[in-house]
Amino acid sequence: MYVLTDGTTTTLLLPDRCRDVYSFEDIISLGEKISRERVAALDLSAISFIEPYSMLALLLLGRNHLRDTGERLRLANIPLNIHQYLARMDFISKGSFVLTDRLDAKLLYRRSSFSNRVIEITDIPGRERESIRAIAGVISIFRKRARHILKYWLNESIVDYFVTVISEVCQNIFEHSLDSGYCAMQTYSAGSEHVVRLVIMDSGIGIRESFGGRNEFASVSGSGIIEKALTTPISSKRRFGYGLCQVNAIIEKLKGSIYIRSADSSAAVLYNRRQSGASHLFLRDDLAPFPGTQISISLFG
Amino acid sequence: MILQIKNTARDLKIRLPDLITRPVGRRMYERTRKSMAHVGDGEVVLVDFSGVQVIDSSFIDEFLLRLIEDSREESPVFFVKLANITPIIETNIDSVFSSYQAYNERRIAVVTESLTAMNSYCIGIISGHERDVLDYLRINRVAALGDIAAFVGMREEDALPLVEGLYGLRVVRREHSGPPGRYEAV
Repeated sequence: MYVLTDGTTTTLLLPDRCRDVYSFEDIISLGEKISRERVAALDLSAISFIEPYSMLALLLLGRNHLRDTGERLRLANIPLNIHQYLARMDFISKGSFVLTDRLDAKLLYRRSSFSNRVIEITDIPGRERESIRAIAGVISIFRKRARHILKYWLNESIVDYFVTVISEVCQNIFEHSLDSGYCAMQTYSAGSEHVVRLVIMDSGIGIRESFGGRNEFASVSGSGIIEKALTTPISSKRRFGYGLCQVNAIIEKLKGSIYIRSADSSAAVLYNRRQSGASHLFLRDDLAPFPGTQISISLFG
Repeated sequence: MILQIKNTARDLKIRLPDLITRPVGRRMYERTRKSMAHVGDGEVVLVDFSGVQVIDSSFIDEFLLRLIEDSREESPVFFVKLANITPIIETNIDSVFSSYQAYNERRIAVVTESLTAMNSYCIGIISGHERDVLDYLRINRVAALGDIAAFVGMREEDALPLVEGLYGLRVVRREHSGPPGRYEAV
C-alpha cells in the first residue's frame, strides 16, 4: 500500500512511524520491500515527527542499501520541519541519501538556536584509534552541553553516569561489531513528558554473532543473549566483560529505560515503568531482520 | 610514592577529566609502571585521582586491576591506595571488582584514603571481620596479631589467616621493622 510508481522510479511512502523505537519497527519491516521492489526513493511527506533512534535507524537503512546495491536511496517530499531537523543533526551530510529537494539556506536551523540540547550524529569508526578519538570528542561535547541536555534531571552525579554510559556503549562498536556506527543524543518534549535519548548503533555482526564462539549461548535466543549481556558481566572477547552490565546498573539507578535491538531480537528494560512485582523486561525474537546492534537509552521526566 | 594520575595523563597528552577506553588504560598503565621502577618492597603507592572525574570499566580493567595484580607479586610487594576518587569512580571500580571476583574466583580489594559511599575505607568484597581489622589498623596504625585477635573476638590462630588474607589482598601491611606478627595499615 505504500508503493507508488511514477514510471521511472519506485517511491515508497514511509508511514508516520518515527515516534519511538517500537513504531519504527514498521519502517524496518519495509526493508525487504525496498530491496525486492527495487525502491529508489523514500517519500517522507507523511512523517510528522522523528526522534533520534528513528533518525539513526533510517540513516543505517540508507547506508545498508548503499552498501548492498551501490546506489543511494532518494529522500523525497520531506516536510520542512523534518528537513530542518535532519539537516541540523548532520543526517544529510552523512551522504547515505540523495535529496530530491534542497532547503533554502535561510530556512536551515542555526547552530546556536538549539545546539545545547543535542549531540549531532557522530561517526564512531570501527578502528580502535580513530574510535577512541571520536568517543572522547562526543564526551567532550556532552560535558559542554550536559547542563542543557539534562536540564530536567541535572544533579551532581548524572553527568558522570552518562559519560560512563556513552563510553561503554560506544566502545562496543569497535570492540565487537566489526563495523563503524553512529551516536547521537537529544532532549525533547513529547506531550507533557521530557525525554533525553542517547542512541548508539551500528550495522555490524550483531550481538549473537559476536558471541558465536561461545558454546553456552548456542541454544539461547537472541533476546536471551541480550538479556544476559545486560544482567551478567559476559564478554564475547574476554572471559568476562562489564560494559552493558554496568550501563544497565546505571540506568536502573536513574530509573530510565534501555532498548537493545540486534538482528531480529530485542530487549527492552523499562525501569521508569517498574512497579512492585510487575515485569519490566520485555523480550522479542520475531522482529524483521536488521543488521547490527541498535541501542536507545532514555530518561523520562 | 604518590602517583598523580593527572600528571601521567598530561605527559601522555590524554585530556582529562575522563579516562576511558582500554587503549588509554594500557598507555597509562605502561607509563605508570615505568615510573614505579624503583618502588621499594613494602612501599605504599598512593594513586591520586584528583582532576579525574570518570574512569570507565575498560580503563579500570587495563590500569587499576593490572596494578593491583602486580602488587601481589612477590618482588617487590607494594600496596595500592586510592585518593580523591569521585562517587562514579568508586561505583565503577566496585562493579569491576565484583565481576572480577565472580569470574576469577579470586578476591580483589583496594584501600581508599577517604570514606567511601559504602561507609568503608576499602573497595571490594570483604567480610565484616575483615572490615573491623582494617578499621582497627587505620585508627591504631600498627598492632600485634594478639591485639587484633582480641579486638575481633578470635583466638590468635583463627585471626592469623584472616589478617594474612588481608595481607594477600594487599590491604594490610606486615610491619617490616618491628618484631614478627605485627601488622600496619596501608
